[in-house]
Amino acid sequence: MSDVTQIGLRGGSALLEVRDLHVWFRLPGGGELHAVQGVGFDLAAGERFGLVGESGCGKTTTILAMMGLLPPNATVSGEVRLAGADILAGGEDSVRPHRWTDIAMVFQGAMNALNPVRTVISQIAEPIVLHGAAGAARGNKDRAGAARKRAGELLELVGIPAAAGTRYPHEFSGGMRQRAAIAMALACEPKVLLADEPTTALDVMVQAQIMDLLVRLSEELGLALVLVTHDLPVVAQVCQRAAVMYAGEIVETGSTDELFHDTRHPYTRLLFAATPDLYSNDEVTSIPGTPPRLDRPITGCPFLPRCDSVVSRCESERPLLRAVGAAQVAASQRAGFLAGPLDVHPGHAAACHRNEPVESATTIPRPRPPLAEEVA
Amino acid sequence: MTTDSVLLQVANLRTRYPVRRSIASRLAGRPRQWVRAVDGVSFSLRRGEMVALVGESGCGKTTTAQTILRMVESSGGTITVDGRDITALPERRLRPLRRGIQMVYQDPYESLDPRFRVRQTIAEPLLVHGIGGSRRERDALISSALERAGLAPASLYLNRYPHELSGGQRQRVAIAAALALDPVLLLADEPVSMLDVSVRAGVLSLLDALRKDGRLGVLMITHDLSTAAHFADRIAVMYLGRIVEYGPAKQVVNDPRHPYTKALLSVVPDRDPRVRRAAQILRGETPNPVSIPPGCRFKPRCPIAEDRCAETDPPLAAPASDDASGREVACILT
Repeated sequence: MSDVTQIGLRGGSALLEVRDLHVWFRLPGGGELHAVQGVGFDLAAGERFGLVGESGCGKTTTILAMMGLLPPNATVSGEVRLAGADILAGGEDSVRPHRWTDIAMVFQGAMNALNPVRTVISQIAEPIVLHGAAGAARGNKDRAGAARKRAGELLELVGIPAAAGTRYPHEFSGGMRQRAAIAMALACEPKVLLADEPTTALDVMVQAQIMDLLVRLSEELGLALVLVTHDLPVVAQVCQRAAVMYAGEIVETGSTDELFHDTRHPYTRLLFAATPDLYSNDEVTSIPGTPPRLDRPITGCPFLPRCDSVVSRCESERPLLRAVGAAQVAASQRAGFLAGPLDVHPGHAAACHRNEPVESATTIPRPRPPLAEEVA
Repeated sequence: MTTDSVLLQVANLRTRYPVRRSIASRLAGRPRQWVRAVDGVSFSLRRGEMVALVGESGCGKTTTAQTILRMVESSGGTITVDGRDITALPERRLRPLRRGIQMVYQDPYESLDPRFRVRQTIAEPLLVHGIGGSRRERDALISSALERAGLAPASLYLNRYPHELSGGQRQRVAIAAALALDPVLLLADEPVSMLDVSVRAGVLSLLDALRKDGRLGVLMITHDLSTAAHFADRIAVMYLGRIVEYGPAKQVVNDPRHPYTKALLSVVPDRDPRVRRAAQILRGETPNPVSIPPGCRFKPRCPIAEDRCAETDPPLAAPASDDASGREVACILT
């Protein structure tokens, strides 16, 4: 692992540490797709962290890798440390004891994946029995009863009356089904909850209810939350910190406040500019072009073809995630610019040559090369 | 405003769907029940204007558009397009007018035939309406429609299949297929909600530019208030089959009057984490449109409702306190 991937990470005190995570998919026609390219972040108990970016940037693959739930054609490297211990080190055998009990996930569209012919409460009770959680441990004569009782408590926790649990999914509204899906993920009292687009298909009022619930759960249960979404405003309002992903890597990370008020990567800035805001009169602009293909090596900056602030170095050298702003000052004061792990928190870092502290011959602005569609 | 500039006039429009009854309930003589999907909607749209119909799912936005297009039959009210009442026009006489009203659907991954090249997709409506006699003439129309939709040069796209296009390009093809018929009215049902954030603005700007050149009007259906605030001239907020607030977009957003509009705006997340709105989260969800509450339909969820709200069903009217801004609110407490 290179030193620079550590910048902006806290190390030591974190509940969950992801380090230099890579995922490759073997493609049917030969070749490999490098879907996640060295992702790292930290998460403390009760902290809410957003992973944002366009579709195909590796957000979902990152959290599926953390759960050990990738398909067989995937190869994973890197570390996912839970309270210091790497849960990926021993493959499936080392992830299984932690999956659902320590680290759980609400899948995208989970609200539509409930079994239609079984009552909601029985579906929540099932993992409790299976994992022997909450008094449903082996040896207890009334395991089913204990699990059902616990399932009822979970429903109340997410704001559904326990009595409503005897109903079937089709009798629930969309918002209630999403709550039930969250309750199900919480069945074994995990410390970390990974939520993949939990509010995407919901109306704005129901979205607000679910966001409210997730914040409350993280505050009351000390649950660490990773929120995967393409919706920047949702992250801005729910999370304390976030990472913007592009082409399989984190291109900027920091507190949500830093990302909005001290943006250091052109992609982050353009994503904000593409998001209409209720009260601002700023022009809403789209980002030209499309993300690069990840089944071939990328030279230079992956965002170069779409970037509006290119310097000559962007073409030859891939920018690394480096501390910027206050974190940059702290890092250079300690041991030179490319120092090792930082204990500065929150660490603001970006992968862009424009952030170099000293202007050099290789960082002179130049126009963006035209996109294929513009040439045509 | 002169009346001849009004392109679409919808007055007291109603659409209802029957609820399926079991044989037992039919034999027992229980009355037939109806889903009142659109329950007295009135608004107008001028040429060159974009009106956004916003509201939560199930509020009747899409049914309103389908009724205007006469894909479903209305059960009351009138639809006037370009000065002609089309509400009861027989199919035979409706068809030539349909050409003037085109729809853009939500999901360009579903709305385009995967086996059709772009050329075929756009040629189809031309053939149906018998436009463009020769292939050459048609090709010219197809190319100009593609370029109007921002896919230039058209030759680059004509022979492509949908799977060779990005989401944004697909939606532009769908828009081009609508434009090929030179419509006066474009109904866009959540035109960007299935697209990536990075390309949404482009498609919305396209719709914006199309209506600004004055040839057509756009009715955009969306659940996203920020999008409506940015691109629409006027916003109509729908709740349970009825427009509850209607007015100039900026006014509705900056100074909402109906308690439902206020609540909706309060829960739109801001992209600036320092801005924390006092979110007014309404409990529960929209009631079932089979049993619309008596009096004001919003009363059961309304944070400021009074007893008298159960007695009158408030009409959409200019609030007493308002200047002559053209805003209308359906609430007796404003």
